[in-house]
Amino acid sequence: MKIMDFCKVLILLSVFWVSAGFAQPSKVLIVNSDNTVFRYGTIASEFKKVLQQNAYQWTEFNLNSHADAEAELKQLIQQENPVLIYCIGTKAYSLARNVASNKKLLFSAAINWRRLDIGEGTYGVANELSSAQEISLLRYFFPTIKTIGLLYNDKFSREYVETIKKDASTLGINIINQPINDAQEIGDALNELLPKIDMFWIISDPVVLSSKASVQQIFQAAQQRQKPVYAYSDVFIEQGAVLAISADLATIGRQSASLALMVDKDKVSEGTVQNPAGSTVTLNKCALDALRLNFNQDALDSVNKIVECNK
Amino acid sequence: MIKYLYTLLVGALVLNSSAFADASASNDDLEKELAYLAAERQVVVTASKMEEHVDKTVATTTVITQDDIAHIGARNLLDVLRLVPGIGITQSQLGIREIEVRGVKTLASEKVQVMLNGHPLDHNLQNAGSTWVYDDLPVDTIKRVEVVRGPGSALYGANAFLAVINIITQNAKDLNGLHTSAGWGSFDTQQYRASWGKQFKNSAEAALHFNFTDTNGIKSPISADSLSVQGLSSAAPGKSQLTEGRYDLEWQLGYQDFKLDGRFINKKTGTFFGVATVLSDGRTQQDYNDYFLRLSRTWKIQDKFTVDTQVFHDSYSADNIWQIAPTQFFRTGFQDTRTGGEIQANYHISDAQTVISGFSYAKEQQDNLIDQLGIDSEHLIPTLPTTEERIRRRWGVYIEDVWDPFKNVRMTLGARYDRYSDFGGTFNPRMGFNWEFIKNYSLKFSYGTAYRAPAFGELGLVNNPVVLGNPMLKPEEVKTFETGIIAHPVAGLTTQATYYHSAINQLISQVSGQTTAFRYDNNGSVVAEGVELETRYDFDGNLQGSYISANHILQHSVQLGQQLADVPRHRTNLIVNWAFDNTWSSFAHVLIKGNTLRNLGDTRNDVPGYALFDMGLLGKNMFGKKVDISFNVYNLFDKRYYDPAPTSLSFIGDYQMPGRAFFGHVSLRF
Repeated sequence: MKIMDFCKVLILLSVFWVSAGFAQPSKVLIVNSDNTVFRYGTIASEFKKVLQQNAYQWTEFNLNSHADAEAELKQLIQQENPVLIYCIGTKAYSLARNVASNKKLLFSAAINWRRLDIGEGTYGVANELSSAQEISLLRYFFPTIKTIGLLYNDKFSREYVETIKKDASTLGINIINQPINDAQEIGDALNELLPKIDMFWIISDPVVLSSKASVQQIFQAAQQRQKPVYAYSDVFIEQGAVLAISADLATIGRQSASLALMVDKDKVSEGTVQNPAGSTVTLNKCALDALRLNFNQDALDSVNKIVECNK
Repeated sequence: MIKYLYTLLVGALVLNSSAFADASASNDDLEKELAYLAAERQVVVTASKMEEHVDKTVATTTVITQDDIAHIGARNLLDVLRLVPGIGITQSQLGIREIEVRGVKTLASEKVQVMLNGHPLDHNLQNAGSTWVYDDLPVDTIKRVEVVRGPGSALYGANAFLAVINIITQNAKDLNGLHTSAGWGSFDTQQYRASWGKQFKNSAEAALHFNFTDTNGIKSPISADSLSVQGLSSAAPGKSQLTEGRYDLEWQLGYQDFKLDGRFINKKTGTFFGVATVLSDGRTQQDYNDYFLRLSRTWKIQDKFTVDTQVFHDSYSADNIWQIAPTQFFRTGFQDTRTGGEIQANYHISDAQTVISGFSYAKEQQDNLIDQLGIDSEHLIPTLPTTEERIRRRWGVYIEDVWDPFKNVRMTLGARYDRYSDFGGTFNPRMGFNWEFIKNYSLKFSYGTAYRAPAFGELGLVNNPVVLGNPMLKPEEVKTFETGIIAHPVAGLTTQATYYHSAINQLISQVSGQTTAFRYDNNGSVVAEGVELETRYDFDGNLQGSYISANHILQHSVQLGQQLADVPRHRTNLIVNWAFDNTWSSFAHVLIKGNTLRNLGDTRNDVPGYALFDMGLLGKNMFGKKVDISFNVYNLFDKRYYDPAPTSLSFIGDYQMPGRAFFGHVSLRF
């Protein structure tokens, strides 16, 4: 009798198994670190537009909307079985890497991508422009600049700063970098650094740029010592940066989508991380004039935006 | 020429050219950029660094997720816990089930601290322990269960002695609508659940859970009781009377930084066979009401400095009618309350170091005693009280430092001092490190002590013909050190090996008395040591969602040179979850338990070991992702097996556990 009961159970289970088979079409899973953050949101929006144009399906998972994101993401990956997971921001990438290490991952908007744990099947669009190109442009604009200084936090930016130093050295520019552990060290670090340099470079370091007060502190100190500031984003032009070369967010989104399509079609080699393809060059002529800083007038052809003084 | 080359360079870089603009990015844009940088910064400096990743903690931790619970097809909390390495579940004579941790178990499981959303549930001050109402906690509303094995008093205070089990339930964000579920199974078991949660635009949020459970119980055969063996009139031989009905209502209300949460439980249950080793004919009824109410707020003083504050009120009341002979009934009851508050400061000194420290105060009180006797449950008259009204005040201070001196090293150092109005003070430190000595290979070491406060029943049991309390009792103490390796040799594979050694002193136990047979005293010690081996492999690709896992424990607990009775020397769990596609998955579990020894002088044979096979099928996210269905078979091969009856009940024989049992479950989301 027992064996009959067992057989009944097996038959019942078999019925369930046979009825299984509602697999859904493959799609891209977009994991966003925080969709309320403008940069992440903009990139996501452009990414989806390209997917839509190419008739791809996607599912979005915003980490800021889930209390137990790790478990829920794991569950979602199981449900959706995406061909690729697009991670916007470091938090999204770190989590996805943890829960789906064998899935194809594509990242963007992650500061200093070289610090990430990059495995097989990982692709990306860097957050920072190519430092070699940036330094080339800087030298083109300001041929007399020989020494550039920057502040950074070792945990967030060490690899990026090493790349900058290497590229700068090749192009004959000396980089003096000063590490800080938190924003309170900015004042002392600038006092030490500014006398030694011709220009200060603001990189996207989240510890150095931890608040508006930190930003103001940097520009006040630079102004006091009459040092020009170059920045990675044009949001610092209003603060007094003389030049900014910004990676274009919409382009990063579209570029990521193009890369995703190529990854899906196996048309890109593993481990590819592209530099942002689009950028905007903004020159603050007002700040330049105030500093009486000479620059190469021929370089004006390369500028997208020129900011004059308000009269 | 140079100009031309640079123009080309810029051209390559500037693909997205824009028209010249008169104005630069606004101040608003700076704020957006800073918000982005702040979001990126969170990856290293999290808002609550104390929520450590399992790999990085110094403690031995197992996390069971909502997804795991669904696969297991768990009917209650203990169905979940029995898969955790180092934990075993057994039946007790009173009906509640015992949680054995690392080779040590007691009837009331008072050496395990169970918490709901971080709030301790040891509300029963008379007998201690949380299993009185929480052993069969419904699992439908659970988001995660975190089991930390080892001492936790340095942070959590009393009774975090052998393990801390923290149950996290779904909040408003998790629910975001109405969830309902229903389950039916063997023993006329039925479970219903309704949950609703919503986040409002004005930063208010609300989550409500309601559960109802009813069962006729496992109806185990009881061949004899203390009356039948004397030839007296008795319900034995008969069957256990473990009927049960319970209601749970939980609420989580939030507005801005304030939160009001709590849970109410009413549980009415029969008994396995009873308090006086006499089989009830169904007229024994235990009636428990338990609730807690907590108001909390987090104050953000600075980005790096936050303060958590809370006030709480816990209440637990019992009103039990015990049948101690066919025509003899005994009614006991009491009410316990605990009212207090806690303030905890969290200071993130740097990216690599966080310190928390706090102060807690609580007043514990027992009153509304009921003691009655009678020939039937409807006609009872007051009798001498068997316990005392009692008030206890306690406070504690604690500090813990979690420091990463290097990227691959985490050190934890903490200590807590608690002072009680009845037995004095106790100091408990905790220290440990986690060192990732090779990428994906970490070594753990920790040492800590913990205490278990004497229960009111142990301090003040009076007028009991068998055992008396002892107001001079000191807390039980345990010193534990453990070390282990956790490794991820290949992607998807996690393995862990842990060795532990615990020395338990000042055990509160029953010793021979002068006016009665027994009295409580601090007497004896136990040394428990063992090895826990765990591994899990998560498949990927087309098999995403499938996993296999196994855990095996070898444990050796010794008292007076003898292996402790009624706990096995080894236990193994083998688990396979196979995802056929995005919807359907099948789960199989084998529990292999070794023989359990008897006490010295108990001439019965060892309780034989057994292997149980459970199997389940789960369909998730069907019909527009709104429906989940599961069907589980427990003890598929209908294995007859027994949990040990203690030596004092040797005449009854061991407790026969249920044969093949079924449970089906449907969940709907709106």
